[in-house]
Amino acid sequence: MRDDRDELLDRIVGELKVLPAVPADATARVLARVDAARRGQAPAAEADDDDVIFFPTATDEMQTVPAASRPPSGTPVDAGAGRGGWRRRFVVSIPVAIGYALAATVAGFLIRGAMPRSGGDATVAKEQQTQTDARAVPVTAVSGLTPREYQEAPVAVQFVLDAQRAKRVALVGDFNAWAADSMPLVRDSATGVWSTVVNVTPGRHVYAFVVDGEVWTLDPRAPKTKDADYGTEQSVLIVGLR
Amino acid sequence: MMRIRHLLAASVIAAGGSALEAQTSAGLDSATMNAIAPIIQRARASNLPLDLLYTRARQGQVQRLPASRIEVAVRNYAERLETAQAALAPNPTTPELKAGVDALQTGVPRETLSEMRRAAKEGSLAVPLGILTTLVARGVSVEKASVQVVALLQQGASPAHFIALDQRVQADVLAGRRPDESLDLRLKGIFPNLPQSVNAGDAATLQAGGTKRPR
Repeated sequence: MRDDRDELLDRIVGELKVLPAVPADATARVLARVDAARRGQAPAAEADDDDVIFFPTATDEMQTVPAASRPPSGTPVDAGAGRGGWRRRFVVSIPVAIGYALAATVAGFLIRGAMPRSGGDATVAKEQQTQTDARAVPVTAVSGLTPREYQEAPVAVQFVLDAQRAKRVALVGDFNAWAADSMPLVRDSATGVWSTVVNVTPGRHVYAFVVDGEVWTLDPRAPKTKDADYGTEQSVLIVGLR
Repeated sequence: MMRIRHLLAASVIAAGGSALEAQTSAGLDSATMNAIAPIIQRARASNLPLDLLYTRARQGQVQRLPASRIEVAVRNYAERLETAQAALAPNPTTPELKAGVDALQTGVPRETLSEMRRAAKEGSLAVPLGILTTLVARGVSVEKASVQVVALLQQGASPAHFIALDQRVQADVLAGRRPDESLDLRLKGIFPNLPQSVNAGDAATLQAGGTKRPR
């Protein structure tokens, strides 16, 4: 007697059939290699080109490289080269290699100058690198601006509103003195999305969209705040990645 | 209607206002202009940037709020603007003053603004003040946020550091972490990377000093 569970099992079996085929002796071969590794011996003779089946999702490059010829991590490019495609892929001429080395050295100095000094988790370090880049560039010296003027130079910000049925949309905010007629958004005919790009000085700003000249609309992509004096809500924008 | 606005703008210039002032006041209707006229007069005497006050008035007008309510909002704004101007002296820029007013409105004490001015040296306070306001709005206590923002400035934090901090706190709060706890956590990732970073022990002391008020 078949029921829902039987159908589910049939579907699972069907899904399993599409997985890469694994030889029947695969388990025995893996155990033999582990055992050999534990004894400190070289892989057995059967570790031939077809043992890459244990990387079913690997790239084509990995699948064409015999396991025995793959250099261990940290090995110089030529040191582990053996038979097969690995060596062919990474052979370079000496002049080209010198060029690469010089380029890498220069790049290393440039990157080092932009790296954070120390510490932090990986995510933090990556973000700090971007920030330090901005700080390392002596733009003020080139432009003649004071640090304060440089940090307050306007930044281009894109505003987007998905208002399919709107006939017109305007941007109002403290950066345009809440002038409803000064910053109209343009509708993209393909997507129906309204957008505009505005230069805004760094800092915290509040804004809203005015749809069809009368509907006060908040930006669904931005946090909102309530104005204590007016009692109304506005969207909040923080500008200043410099 | 448009002609009346132009006449009002012309009268602003005639009364001693600048062309910029006339430009920012141009969109205001006569009822609003009349309601805020005494406030504008006092602000001019105090050398406050009038365009910020006109902008505040237009904010109410574009939301079609009554002139009486706009008047109250502009008066409150002018008071905070005067406080911010004194606290951020000397020579605060308009973006700094605007950011200072927002910070004061969220409950940040004026002493914090002065402390930030001393700590920032030549840098702009527009972003640090904006982030301070945002942190408080997110739920970080005013005292903790004030102390830490001043500490960041003292150690040379750039606007990008402040924005990175805010983004991380925002992500943590959205994920359910308490705002104060998130600020403590995220500062540990910022402080060691600052130009004038102190050693780890001092950084920990600074971060533990969340209950102290700025000098």
